[in-house]
Amino acid sequence: MEHPVRKSLLMWLCLSPLMLVILFPFAVMVSTAVKPRLEVLSYPPHWLPSEIRLQNFADMWEATRLGPAVLNSVLVSIAATILCLLVAIPAAYASARMEFTGKRLFRQFLLVTQMLSPIVLVLGIFRLMARMGLVDQLPALVLAYVAFNLAFSVWMLQAYFQTIPKELEEAAKLDGASALQRLQRIFLPLALPAIGITAVFVFIYCWNEFVLAMTLLRSPENNTLTFQTFSLVGGRYQVEWDHVMAATLVASGPVAVIFALLQRSLVSGLTVGAVK
Amino acid sequence: MASSSSSAGKASEVGARRGKTRAGTQANGRIGSVSAPYLLILPAILFAFWIIGYPIYDMANMSVHAVNRFGKTTAFNDFANYQRLFSHQLFLGCLIRTLVWTVFVVGGTVILSVPIALVLNEKFYGRTLARIIIMLPWAVSLTMTGIVWRWSLNGQFGMVNATLSSFGLQDTPVEWLATAGTAFPILIAIGILVSIPFTVTVILGGLSSLQADIFEAAKIDGASGWQRFRYLTLPLIRPFLNIVLVLNFIYVFNSFPLIWVMTQGDPANSTDILVTWLYKLAFRYGELGIASALSIVMFLILLALTITYAALAMRHERREI
Repeated sequence: MEHPVRKSLLMWLCLSPLMLVILFPFAVMVSTAVKPRLEVLSYPPHWLPSEIRLQNFADMWEATRLGPAVLNSVLVSIAATILCLLVAIPAAYASARMEFTGKRLFRQFLLVTQMLSPIVLVLGIFRLMARMGLVDQLPALVLAYVAFNLAFSVWMLQAYFQTIPKELEEAAKLDGASALQRLQRIFLPLALPAIGITAVFVFIYCWNEFVLAMTLLRSPENNTLTFQTFSLVGGRYQVEWDHVMAATLVASGPVAVIFALLQRSLVSGLTVGAVK
Repeated sequence: MASSSSSAGKASEVGARRGKTRAGTQANGRIGSVSAPYLLILPAILFAFWIIGYPIYDMANMSVHAVNRFGKTTAFNDFANYQRLFSHQLFLGCLIRTLVWTVFVVGGTVILSVPIALVLNEKFYGRTLARIIIMLPWAVSLTMTGIVWRWSLNGQFGMVNATLSSFGLQDTPVEWLATAGTAFPILIAIGILVSIPFTVTVILGGLSSLQADIFEAAKIDGASGWQRFRYLTLPLIRPFLNIVLVLNFIYVFNSFPLIWVMTQGDPANSTDILVTWLYKLAFRYGELGIASALSIVMFLILLALTITYAALAMRHERREI
């Protein structure tokens, strides 16, 4: 057998180039975010700032109006996640537990909608929302996000639901439990972890989405976090990079931490959904 | 899996039909349960038809009519929008760049992800940490990734130039994103970087489903490490590779934020792919007719890919049984 420490060193050595490239932008984010402004725009640039200015975050929060954007993102993401689950759970339950004609067709239909990215449909969606009077309204984003996450959610959930043994519900049925009771007391508690994982994925999608937010939102006070951060960079003559990097750190830090903490279950969950 | 459950479904249907002739009560009981699944999937179907189906119909309709800047459609115009699209001076360039972009990003991603997954599948100290770091780009949005790289690649104040020159790898600073020759390759490299997490995840899933004993047996029979990889690992994870290839192809083909945030297709359209051009046509130039024709063309390409995916996935399912 190989020596475990030597093997570990070798493995880390193999991965190190990729690790460097992955961690590089995070280092740039942190380094720029805490630099005094003069050092951000000094040539040649240095990694280490002369002093760590946490005041940058407070200044940025004021100057970039990030607070309302964070609130908008939170509201839209939570609303879309809940609505998406409310629509997806029954559909996933039906396609995991029941037999019906057209089930194959339904699954194929889901597959097709899953392949469509918002960018291909963005013109049509803009016109639809304009017709419904929803342009520059946050509910427009919620509805669109639900539609684009449905297929994924139904797919993931039904893959999980199939792994929950039917026998438990059948036994409860024999014991005289009604359909609703079986759902409430047996099925849903067992399905809860799967629902949680799906919710995290939908939430991250909504939190990070860009094209629809850019297209459907108009006034700055309605911007979501992603779009607000982009608007600090796009089409401006002078970009205040220390503020922008502080904002990207605020926007991606929490999601990265959630992802890192839940990494194991998210990844195993996705493999169930993606491959089965 | 789908085929096994649908055959079970047929069996139960046959059983139910027989039961119907035997007992009327059973038939009554079945009415409720027949409509139940449809009621459960109905909201999902309505939602998808409303927000996804209707826009497709609307754009298909626009694409064959004369459309003004404000989106008012008038007469059927004999596919003139499609003719104008295909003969547009930017169309061919964008199409070729889309192909280059997609093939290089997907190819690069899969070629790099297989060895990464093989390493992460080994047991070593700190493996969990390594996995977390490699999955990290997945959690951060493409918009943020694009913004940070755009700043890092800044010709004057960017840390990429600073780092390269401090290692003596570069004499003069490079304007990475403002130079036609470097902008697109850089975008491709970052495209690969952000596609690796998902791809590694699925391949890891494939690797962990392999049984250790056949590898032991091959080892005892004297197969070298490369031989075991070439003749055992690779064929066995093939279904996973197929799925990863098609899914990545679809994601990368549609990929918009990275390019939009970093270059907006510039300099001089040299990094425009179909999706960024589509956005400009629709929302910058007001060419709604051409934009909707392009949307429909892209929709058809994606549909063809989806059918390929479905075929591959089904084959995988059959093999599993």
